[in-house]
Amino acid sequence: MTAPAPPAPPSYRSTVAGEARDGFGRLLLAEWTKLRTVPRWTLTLLAAVVLMVAVAMLSASDSGSSGPEEKRSPTAQLQIIDLGHYTYLPLAGDGSVVARVTSQDGGGAWAKAGLMIRGSAERGAPYAALAVTPGHGVRMLTGYRRDGAGGGTATAPQWLRLTRAGAAVTGYASADGRAWRRVGSVRVDGLRGRALAGMFVAAPDEVEVRRVFGGEIISGKPGDTTATFDNVAVSPPAPDAAWLDRGGPGGPAADPALDGSTRSGGTFTLKGTGDIGPDEFAPDVTKATLAGAMIGQAAIVALAVLFMTAEYRRGTLRTTFAASPRRGRVLAAKAVVVGLASLAAGLVAAFASVLLARPLLESGGIAPPPVSDPAVLRAVVGTAALLAVLAVFALAVAVIVRRSAVAIAAVLLVLLVPEITATGLPVAAARWVERVTPAAGFAIQQTVTRYDAAIGPWAGLGVLCAYTAAALAAAAWLLRRRDA
Amino acid sequence: MEATIEVRGLRKRFGSTVAVDDLSFTVGPGRVTGFVGPNGAGKSTTMRMIMGLDRPDAGAALVGGRPYRSLRTPLCRLGAMLDASAVHPARRARDHLRWLAHANGLPARRVDEVIEQAGLGSAARRRAGGFSLGMRQRLGIAAALLGDPPVLMFDEPVNGLDPEGIAWIRGLLRSLAAEGRAVLVSSHLMSELEGGADHLLVIGRGRLIADTRVEDLLAAASDGRVELRTERRREAMTVLARAGATVTTSGSDALIVTGPTAERVIELLTGEGVAFSGISAHRASLEEAYMELTKDALEFQAVAGGEAR
Repeated sequence: MTAPAPPAPPSYRSTVAGEARDGFGRLLLAEWTKLRTVPRWTLTLLAAVVLMVAVAMLSASDSGSSGPEEKRSPTAQLQIIDLGHYTYLPLAGDGSVVARVTSQDGGGAWAKAGLMIRGSAERGAPYAALAVTPGHGVRMLTGYRRDGAGGGTATAPQWLRLTRAGAAVTGYASADGRAWRRVGSVRVDGLRGRALAGMFVAAPDEVEVRRVFGGEIISGKPGDTTATFDNVAVSPPAPDAAWLDRGGPGGPAADPALDGSTRSGGTFTLKGTGDIGPDEFAPDVTKATLAGAMIGQAAIVALAVLFMTAEYRRGTLRTTFAASPRRGRVLAAKAVVVGLASLAAGLVAAFASVLLARPLLESGGIAPPPVSDPAVLRAVVGTAALLAVLAVFALAVAVIVRRSAVAIAAVLLVLLVPEITATGLPVAAARWVERVTPAAGFAIQQTVTRYDAAIGPWAGLGVLCAYTAAALAAAAWLLRRRDA
Repeated sequence: MEATIEVRGLRKRFGSTVAVDDLSFTVGPGRVTGFVGPNGAGKSTTMRMIMGLDRPDAGAALVGGRPYRSLRTPLCRLGAMLDASAVHPARRARDHLRWLAHANGLPARRVDEVIEQAGLGSAARRRAGGFSLGMRQRLGIAAALLGDPPVLMFDEPVNGLDPEGIAWIRGLLRSLAAEGRAVLVSSHLMSELEGGADHLLVIGRGRLIADTRVEDLLAAASDGRVELRTERRREAMTVLARAGATVTTSGSDALIVTGPTAERVIELLTGEGVAFSGISAHRASLEEAYMELTKDALEFQAVAGGEAR
């Protein structure tokens, strides 16, 4: 500050400043250019696809051990169970059925005693049911789903009423037979014209899973339940119709101690074993086909981590922030780019897996559900979404720890360790591990609600998203705060 | 948008080390400003703070009157090469420039223009990992020029370059400054800036030691000194010392005399009959001036711990 400044020459003006543009779109383009111009990164993305498809093909060609001749029953194909005991009268068209469940005994919290209107007595037929349960209140059930509208704490004795108008069936419950409350209404596709109306009991299998490290012992026995009904009325009454029974396989009353119905005056006692609902032991073919995501994720995680840590290691992060000083936006652009790239790779891999595994599975005697099936479509698209979210999660962790090896190891450990340790933990603890760790995201691949499902598909993905959001927030905070 | 960098009371501490300590200066347009100081003096930290990469503990830095982090298309305001090796080795040089151009929405032709300007030529199609240091420096300079900015900042741009490369960069910096741009160049060797810089910021231990025009600094360092060439060195030294001059040898037949004027030295030597072959006002090298400066500054700091000269 001592030297007198010489007369200042005119300041230079940038000749391109007028053309320069700022914006998130430009930033996306910049990050995408970064991603695609490092050949080993595009190869990693490709490797993720190849690995996933390869695993799908391998597992598909391996799974035909039961032999092509074996015919699978229609309910097994549908992956449902349609057992229990049903006592019914014909219902010609619209009408209703009413009864009071006076007592219910045995079968666990999900034992069902109630009313059912169904298309036919055939197994797998469409139905609507209203049931009281010991542990889950009064429920409106349909479509062989585990759950339905309703709930609460009501138990037997309970008045129930089911009315049918075309394909729409509505359920009402009452404590005294006078004041009715609506439980729910369902549309039963396939319920046309003649139908059946009556009472049913059902109980899920009692499954005991014991974990030993590296495997599990599953023992299940059919649950049995008994319930009594009175004040039974089907209207309009069918002339000359007698009550009919549908029991477990092997004909009505195969084992009179467990299955059957007795009537004394206006009181019916129904005994039944087995459930009406999803097959909790059904193999999840789609999930098995998409299991390659467990392998493919390693490539995706590595890519997402390197996409960030390379900037630290090579010192290009300073160049990046010099061009785009708003660091939160840079992180967002990186997340979008690596997420979309992973989503695209995931979509290709998941669709290719399901489509290419199909002929192999069919030649092995397994009929995989079609891709158009909503659950399968959700699993396939969900697998791609899962990989996209995982990529963003890995990116955020990479920002936090800044080292490739540490970040990759940390993310993969967090994803894989729960899966591995869960097999060695007591079942209840294992469920919680599978519920509260980021690995819960893999639940999106379930297409069958199995006995060992820890968490629902969307809830599972939600758990992973929550972890990702938290990691991303921490990453953004650190990125703004730290010196580049 | 003025082509200036203004630094006001900048301070930065890393743990217990004070990297930059109350630094203030202005870099003006139309000249090359050298930013000199030993390694670890805080030059790079200062440059990072100017670019908003490091957060100052106190003070502020403005580029063209605005904080860097508030700039929307910063590549058009300030171009910088902080570290020539900061390139992904697997990426082609051209792609490196391309993503950078995208980030500020710069037209694609700029990429070709700076490749030309930096003399990268066909190497732009090669992956940066195979580049020599000289090529990396050229790529870094190309990146800095991408937005055709009025302010340029280079951290040790000639470090490790061959003489040809040094000459090229020196010429480039001069021509950029001649267009009216502000150019800030750091170096830990004063000799690297010899003939390259018009203005100097000398920094030591994070503090500003000098903010001066190169001419003024050289004049001050050369002040009153006379360079004498004589075969009879010993006699000359005796004669001059007796007259109260300070004499140092600077070669086998060269002496530097401090104190008397050139006329007085001639008078003394001819009076005693000591022959000499040449006498001239001594012109200090930038290195010498720097040594002189830092020596004084250190003494001054030790005594007063106060403001730099």
